[in-house]
Amino acid sequence: MGLNSFVWYRRARLTAGVLLLFAGLSGCASLVPQTMGLRATWPADVAVKAENTEVPFFAQKEYQCGPAALATTLVNAGAPVTPDELLKLVYLPGRQGSLQIEMLAAPRHYSIISYQLASSFDALLQEVAAGNPVIVLQDIGLGPFTDWHYAVVVGFDYPAGELYLRSGETRRLAIPFTIFEYTWKRSNYWAMVALPPGRIPASAGEADYLAAISAMESVGKPAAAVLAYSAFLLRWPGNVGASIGLANRHYALGALADAEAALQRAAEHHPESVPVLNNLAQVLSDIGRNKEALALVERAAQVEGSPFAGAVGETRALVLQRMGKNR
Amino acid sequence: MNTAFKKLICRFFAVALITLPFQTGQASMIGTDQVAAAAVAKGDRTLVLGYLSRSQTVSEFQALGLDAQEASARVAAMTDAEVGTLAGQINAVPAGGDGLVALILVVFFIWYFAFRR
Repeated sequence: MGLNSFVWYRRARLTAGVLLLFAGLSGCASLVPQTMGLRATWPADVAVKAENTEVPFFAQKEYQCGPAALATTLVNAGAPVTPDELLKLVYLPGRQGSLQIEMLAAPRHYSIISYQLASSFDALLQEVAAGNPVIVLQDIGLGPFTDWHYAVVVGFDYPAGELYLRSGETRRLAIPFTIFEYTWKRSNYWAMVALPPGRIPASAGEADYLAAISAMESVGKPAAAVLAYSAFLLRWPGNVGASIGLANRHYALGALADAEAALQRAAEHHPESVPVLNNLAQVLSDIGRNKEALALVERAAQVEGSPFAGAVGETRALVLQRMGKNR
Repeated sequence: MNTAFKKLICRFFAVALITLPFQTGQASMIGTDQVAAAAVAKGDRTLVLGYLSRSQTVSEFQALGLDAQEASARVAAMTDAEVGTLAGQINAVPAGGDGLVALILVVFFIWYFAFRR
């Protein structure tokens, strides 16, 4: 081998190396698009470093990362539960794991509101920076294998390039942003928080959070729903659905005066809302103010094409019947 | 009325009691969920489909090893939309279970020293 061919060989090797590095980098960029996005724009009003060290830890038993992750967040939210108790709510023996929808549904049994985050690093970092632990679904299988795993993100340090997780049997797992995104991406960036009523998630959207409260209402305590709707209305005062929800919970608890007050406030914002008029008429009639009730329900009946015409008709009949009796 | 027919009726009510969500509260107060449902123009048809997918999901849960009571308690905490997503898909959606972090070690080493954020 002459000197020239040796130089040629060195050059070729260098070129190949540089090309491979470029290929690698561009490949990585498409593998972890959101991490790349963070380099360009860090979410506004979010610190670059945060960690909630108070979040408890429950080491998982075989296949039971779902109950462990859920217990971590529920205990943090103030519900005294253990992973073993949660088995009956979120563990499916036939699948040896827990489904995402069940993870969302289970906290409602403890009057805790679960909220699914937007599929983005921004929403995740926003919640964690606000001190809210976030449950994430990762696929930690290699290559063609899938291996779904729930973990709880409790902190991050962007300058150091790490996120901190309560995961499996590790109390504080430090994992680079890149690796984390690679495993998280396959669940379409699925993430949720579970917070006590009155504590609104940092990234909450009006309609989605209202739906989250309403979902909790079906199995949670009425008093918890009252708290949640009240906090919601402080943030979004004009929301008619929340006013109706608040009034209905007061009504279910027998607090007719509170129910009336909530509906009167709603009627100021939405004077032509059929559900508000109908429910207010019902409450006033129960208090014995049937004349006012009749006026309201007649107004509601005049709105054409309302999907609540049936309910309005029933209320009107009831008010008329009560008036007939009192005459 | 013969006994077989009575039994059938009883069974129907037992199943209905377990699977169908019942409305509490008196009179005609319209609920938040109904207001939200009306906003997306849900009709009676989706309501009926909701009931069907609830009972379907309960029986699918039972097939995966839950008893009837556990299964219906779980489904009771789900919204119609959630039950709709789950019905018939229960074996296809991800079930998070294992936590063997060792499996990602290979990827970890490739990237750990390359770049972390």
